[in-house]
Amino acid sequence: MCWVCEKYGNGEKWYLNPENYARRLYKVRKEGREASGADADPQAAGMGAGVVAELVKARISGDLKWEEEIKRDALEHAYQTHFGQVVTLDEYLQILDIAYPLVKMTCGCRRVQRGMPDEENFTCMGIGPGMYKWERWPETYRGGVEFLTPEEAKQWAMMNHKEGRVQTVDVFGTPYIGGLCQCEYPGCVAVRNRLDYDFKFLLKGHTVAKVDREKCTGCKSCLGRCQFKSLNLEVYTNKAYVDMDQCFGCGLCITACPSGAIELLDRESLPGLAENW
Amino acid sequence: MIAQIKINFDLCKDPLLCRRCLSVCPSVVFVCGPTKIWKGRETDPQEYRIFGRYLDKCSGCGDCVKVCPTGAVDLGFLPKEQLAKRYQEERIAQLNERNS
Repeated sequence: MCWVCEKYGNGEKWYLNPENYARRLYKVRKEGREASGADADPQAAGMGAGVVAELVKARISGDLKWEEEIKRDALEHAYQTHFGQVVTLDEYLQILDIAYPLVKMTCGCRRVQRGMPDEENFTCMGIGPGMYKWERWPETYRGGVEFLTPEEAKQWAMMNHKEGRVQTVDVFGTPYIGGLCQCEYPGCVAVRNRLDYDFKFLLKGHTVAKVDREKCTGCKSCLGRCQFKSLNLEVYTNKAYVDMDQCFGCGLCITACPSGAIELLDRESLPGLAENW
Repeated sequence: MIAQIKINFDLCKDPLLCRRCLSVCPSVVFVCGPTKIWKGRETDPQEYRIFGRYLDKCSGCGDCVKVCPTGAVDLGFLPKEQLAKRYQEERIAQLNERNS
């Protein structure tokens, strides 16, 4: 169990605990300035991105202490407000039986980093009672929302997994889970910031992929599935290689393998990785 | 060398709908976010502004300059040592202010 489970799991995985989908039915109302068009920082768009400009400066300066301080302060805030974790497709489908209502909405990351038009960008899922009043702050839901039945949502989730998107849960006011994302590197700000700057707004999942070198035929079907730079072909032995230390446990490589040569292990069953979130 | 990207907002009036530089960048260096958030309506696309965000990831290929229809993208480079020195001085000033 990760630290979020220990705090909010009530004995199980925190994102399978129904309480975390219902705790905060109504957001704190934003009154005053916001209503009349509050100033926003255009460079802060995307999870954890408010400090990226400073982080890039710190990195260029070579001052590791500065970089660590930026991350520590930002994460302390993020873990109380807005962060995410990778989940498997099975877990995602279980969540779709817990959370309601379910809406398809546009992905803010790909909008601000790729300028993807709203109509091509309905790749996020907003969940919970807050969706009934999305029109109060429609900028978050540019292009509107599309309500789905749980069955439609599951079909859509399976399609996303098949196409190769990483699935994550996202909190909006810890521990309230308000979104499910289908992410990729580098279009997803959270994945980008985690991989390139080791910024832990996005936590690794509770599983880790492991290659069975006896079963792997070197067919290369899994190559290209990993969004975390953790999978390649060992050319000389002609076997897939998963960097387990870097694996986020999304399971995308596994569903592409025709030989059953990759399995998802429970992170906690691996002493060397059990605390690697 | 580290990229220094300046966008001329007098020329770049509609970045979110134009989106050519966002779309073409092989390193996803840019971010195009809203400058205003409104209650009850979406932010106008013209209220978006574009910036070079992941400057340390920019290769300097220049595709963003080439695709910009208004010539609004200014892409320059500074030696890393020079920038590092500048940012180290900013950090020292920040710490001094905090301790004062």
